[in-house]
Amino acid sequence: MAGITFDHVTKAFGDQVAVRDFNLEVIDGEFLVLVGPSGCGKSTTLRMLAGLDAITSGTISIGGREVNGVAAKDRDIAMVFQTYALYPHMSVFDNMAFGLKLRKISRRDIDTRVQQAARLLGIEDLLKRKPGQLSGGQRQRVALGRAIVREPAAFLLDEPLSNLDAKLRVQTRAEISRLHQRLGTTFVYVTHDQVEAMTMATRIAVMNEGVLQQVGSPQELYDHPTNVFVAGFIGSPAMNFFEGTVRRVGGGIVIASDGFDIEVPQVRRDSFAPLEGRELTFGMRPEHIHDPAFVPAGTVPAPLDAQVEITELMGNETFLHLQRGETSLLARVDPRTAARAGSQTSVVMDLTHLRAFDATSGEAVPLEVPSTV
Amino acid sequence: MTTTRVASTGHRVSWWQRLPLHVVVIGVIILWSIPTLGLLVSSFREPSAIASSGWWEAFRHPDQFTLANYERVLGEQGMGRAFVNSLLITVPATILVILVAAHAAYALAWMRFPARGPIFLVIVGLLVVPLETTLIPVLRLFSHTTIEHQLPILGGNAFGTASYTGMWLAHTGYGLPFAVFLLRNFFVSLPRDLIEAAHLDGASDLQVFWRVILPLSLPAIAALAIFQFLWVWNDLLIALVLLGDPTLAPMTLKITNLVSSFGTSYQVLTAAAFVSMALPLVVFFAFQRFFVQGMLAGAVKG
Repeated sequence: MAGITFDHVTKAFGDQVAVRDFNLEVIDGEFLVLVGPSGCGKSTTLRMLAGLDAITSGTISIGGREVNGVAAKDRDIAMVFQTYALYPHMSVFDNMAFGLKLRKISRRDIDTRVQQAARLLGIEDLLKRKPGQLSGGQRQRVALGRAIVREPAAFLLDEPLSNLDAKLRVQTRAEISRLHQRLGTTFVYVTHDQVEAMTMATRIAVMNEGVLQQVGSPQELYDHPTNVFVAGFIGSPAMNFFEGTVRRVGGGIVIASDGFDIEVPQVRRDSFAPLEGRELTFGMRPEHIHDPAFVPAGTVPAPLDAQVEITELMGNETFLHLQRGETSLLARVDPRTAARAGSQTSVVMDLTHLRAFDATSGEAVPLEVPSTV
Repeated sequence: MTTTRVASTGHRVSWWQRLPLHVVVIGVIILWSIPTLGLLVSSFREPSAIASSGWWEAFRHPDQFTLANYERVLGEQGMGRAFVNSLLITVPATILVILVAAHAAYALAWMRFPARGPIFLVIVGLLVVPLETTLIPVLRLFSHTTIEHQLPILGGNAFGTASYTGMWLAHTGYGLPFAVFLLRNFFVSLPRDLIEAAHLDGASDLQVFWRVILPLSLPAIAALAIFQFLWVWNDLLIALVLLGDPTLAPMTLKITNLVSSFGTSYQVLTAAAFVSMALPLVVFFAFQRFFVQGMLAGAVKG
């Protein structure tokens, strides 16, 4: 078991910088998920950690030992590939035992370890088969098993679920989480799927265009994104954004957006007042826009009229695709809503959960003010 | 490499639509097989019968077939020894090419080193050099470096002209460009993840090569083995130039000598020719599955 440290790590392919000044401390035993859109540098980061790609500058340490010059096989890590990378000519047993044989571990120990891992993953019956005779889910388990038997200091997983169908993906997600709990080893998991990140991670590191955007627990990232990118990337369906300026009108404060104004209720005026005149991007999650008939207690309501373009019934909730002027909004409302597609409706935004970002830099602008001054 | 049959959604090609194709293919097969069949039949006929009638007449008198030609060729004319010589030249020359080419191909496909691309280009470029232009330089080189020490068991000099080792080296050299080209292109088409997984599992390059790459490349290696085997087995030119000693002569050389001394004794020539064809035929039919697969090597991905 070991913690992992990235210290000012940069990777360039010629002029192309894939990862820029990456700093991250992976705590011993945690499940860290590297997430970001494709091409954001997350896989490159993992490959540098594995020793499959050279580091252009900076250092990576595993368990306190700098590994920049250490060959992949000597880094004491195991990796699960997106394609599983099982040896097609070897049986499941031999696939799992391959790394142990090369490390000159006694035959009896190999047998015990492989059997143990196979039991843990429920693949005891498959040990004699070849990978070609297995289903996608079974191959996935064998790939995990091959990593487990090595008893490495850290597991690296590169999009291990992306080749599975939707149902199996949900199931395997839970299994990998359970595996992490049982083994208690450091997991570094790369995915482009923020749902996987949210459901499995102890902490999430969000990357975009080679730059680390934010690191934190799933809840932290969801509630307090540090910039527009993280706000938009984490959460499904995604956060609504609209441009606007805080203005003083008469005695009150409004958020003036393109074609509509949102009146800020008395209780929240103090938090918006300091932002007066600034160009901002506002963000509001769909679940914080309510049908006026079903507003939960504690909401700081800001009403808004909008055109309902489409309604999507989910059973336990209904999605309203709203249009107001140039702005499209998605609301996740109570399924008992009376709003119908094509009609005009009124919704209530909960300003407690409104997030503000600088319109040019995209960085979060704090809206909270201390309750007692 | 799955063959997709025309699915039920597409139009079905019925057998009579494919009939012209089948007729043409079968026609070509028959046309190409006739000389070989004639050779085979003639090799079992009496000299007088060969002289008086065509080989197709032989089926009217099946009682006239004889094994005498083979007895004579293998015994008196020394084709038996020539057969062994051919094997002694061909088998090592085939194994050597595969061993050297496979290692080189792995390095060219999967190891990072300076000038990897240009080196591969030069090797492929050697494919266009005509063999004939190299014969004199190689012969001169061999005659300068000949070690005139009779090898035990094998026979011939230890190295240079009139030696088996010289023949192995020459055939290996001539076979390498194509072998490296074929294997490198096959190795490159193997999934990168597999090689990386093996490295992470703790394998060195040599272990990756022996335990992952080679087992997965058997079709390509088998195809190469057949190519190289046939090429060396059928070679006359290199043996003629580099092999002075008639006791070391392979069958091709022996048959050429037979032609000059038994120019009209077709019964001897046909039997000799068929003996020399027999082994390549066995090799081809034994490995023809790999042969076809291997010809697609590198062209079609997995």
